[in-house]
Amino acid sequence: MSADKYEVIIIGGGPSGLAAAYKLAQAGVEVVLVERGDYCGSKNLSGGVFYTRVLDQLIPGFWEEAPVERYITNYVTTLMDKEDYFNLDYKGQALSKPPYNAFSVLRAKFDRWLAEKAEDAGVMLVNEIKVEKVLKEGNKVTGIVAGDEEMLADVVIAADGINSFIAQEAGLRGPIKPEHLAVGAKALIELPREKIEDRFRLTGNEGTAYAMLGEASHGVAGGAFLYTNIDSLSIGVVLRLDDLVKSGAKPAEVLDDLLEHPMVAPLVKDGKMVEYGAHLTAEGGLHMVPQQLVADGFIMVGDAAGFTINSGLVIRGMDLAVGSGIAAAEAIIEAKEKNDFSAASLNSYKRRLDESFVMKDLKTYAKAPIFMENDRLYKSYSKLANDIFGKVYNHDLTPKELLLKTALKALKENNLSIFDLARDGFKGVRAL
Amino acid sequence: MNVITCYKIVPDDQDIIVRDDRTLGLEKAELEIGQYDLPAIEAGMQVVADAGGKVSALSVGPKLLENSKLKKGVLSRGPADLYLVVDDSLAEADTHQTARTLAAAIQKIGDADLVLCGEGSSDLYAQQVGPQLGELLGMANINAVSKITVEGDKVIVERTLEDEVEVLEVSLPAVISVTTDIVQPRIPSMKEVLSAGKKPVTQWSLADIGLADNPQTMETINTLAPELAERKQIIIEGDSEEAVNELWENLRQELQ
Repeated sequence: MSADKYEVIIIGGGPSGLAAAYKLAQAGVEVVLVERGDYCGSKNLSGGVFYTRVLDQLIPGFWEEAPVERYITNYVTTLMDKEDYFNLDYKGQALSKPPYNAFSVLRAKFDRWLAEKAEDAGVMLVNEIKVEKVLKEGNKVTGIVAGDEEMLADVVIAADGINSFIAQEAGLRGPIKPEHLAVGAKALIELPREKIEDRFRLTGNEGTAYAMLGEASHGVAGGAFLYTNIDSLSIGVVLRLDDLVKSGAKPAEVLDDLLEHPMVAPLVKDGKMVEYGAHLTAEGGLHMVPQQLVADGFIMVGDAAGFTINSGLVIRGMDLAVGSGIAAAEAIIEAKEKNDFSAASLNSYKRRLDESFVMKDLKTYAKAPIFMENDRLYKSYSKLANDIFGKVYNHDLTPKELLLKTALKALKENNLSIFDLARDGFKGVRAL
Repeated sequence: MNVITCYKIVPDDQDIIVRDDRTLGLEKAELEIGQYDLPAIEAGMQVVADAGGKVSALSVGPKLLENSKLKKGVLSRGPADLYLVVDDSLAEADTHQTARTLAAAIQKIGDADLVLCGEGSSDLYAQQVGPQLGELLGMANINAVSKITVEGDKVIVERTLEDEVEVLEVSLPAVISVTTDIVQPRIPSMKEVLSAGKKPVTQWSLADIGLADNPQTMETINTLAPELAERKQIIIEGDSEEAVNELWENLRQELQ
């Protein structure tokens, strides 16, 4: 069977694949992007908070035309006990000005828009086709196989997400360790925009993102998030797979309980749940990024390469995806000039990543996953904080004690030592 | 043999929401090629595979026809080229407006030997456009066709009726509306999708096809979902004799 040949084939139409495709097409490279979904974004659950500065580099002023929801100006960190909670609330005016720091996005809309931009730039988009494997000659990747069709390319980019079996098949990635994976359960709740703006104290298109720890995840390693879209809220829990299995908790129940928690319930009241689902996400940070990111004729980007950061306060993936997509495209453009698509030539991708925020941030937060393996973070500290503040504010006619003494008592009641606290505090400050 | 297959872009009926006031919510519904039109496209491909020639696809409607995914969706199923008549006044076109617009476009394309339509649109399913189109073009005109065989300058068609299969000889040019059992539409391959992006698309306005004046002859007053029947909500559990008797008694009372 004769196989058509293109310069670049990209597997997967998420932010990483689309960013690479857009950049390549702009440079006049012949790109085919194969996406298994009905349209780009169709496989996506709800959305996320997208730290978009890097997208502004690729498509300057994108927010003027992209279907973004709200620019995030308010960040709230919640330490949650069973009924009580303790919030750290930050609002920054600089975050409400162009080029904006982050947007909430609903990916079914957003990815679709990015795909249209890519098509306009000349990308050949193929939907509803599942790539089954890569074609290889020795160690060199030469193309893809879908059904009984083969298609050849100088370079194949794996942008097929966290479960990238393409990367596994190309021999660059082993199976992912359970401690590097988390289950996310998520709901999309519709509310009129005026209600959202009132409840979250927002003006116009401002938005809020919550990171919730402690009881929010039933004490399972992970946490919960809530952020505002234009006329809906995205809320969900992220539960580390190994700890989830150990605890026996069910993600759907954890999410249901969160929705009824006294902090969350008034925020989602009278909302209409329009989407509900679960998805696997990556938690490993730098630890799950493979040693080799390229092979002969092959590059991996985005989640497929394990580019995610969860610092506990901030979950990032889309920005790293776009950053890696751009770096991959630049490496291929350079390789094309030399007409050399070997691993050595494509490895300028690694150098570009190292020089960019992608690897720098992954390295900065490299200790975060280990720090966050600590049980006390999920099981003890939220309760501790709530116990201390409970005692400070509660005047039940028993004699008051000074804050330090109250805190020490609360530590003791929670079976924590001041050494644990100091050690975790120090580690936390270093890791985050 | 020049074959023109007509298709309509419709909302995916799985995602149409019926609101409390029985009106329809289409916001969540993706646009797709009419499910009854896909077999007509495939039937056209079979005709030219047997008799030679070329299939062109044709649609008329509002601006959403320009969506690149929908255009590729049609062309990846085989047609060599695509013609669109785009005008937002066609968004709520009645069957006569649609047939008039298609007829004018077919005359402008010229030299059509066979025009194929689905048995009805998968949104309104009036089953009117095919027959009206045949009348407007002055061509032989037949519906409910489940098989087409080309024989020289004629086609032999089959219509599956209640108790028999009617076999008819139809002279060309003709407008034929086909049933969904005529052929299973294909699922486009990767290469068909890629080649679809390179096929020619001709887009006309109503003025381009000389139809600047194409008024609606029917007015839609409303489109409502049928009223839901009130359910009794009686649930009888178990398979004991009493439960069976209770079920029987309930049924009996209802049927009295």
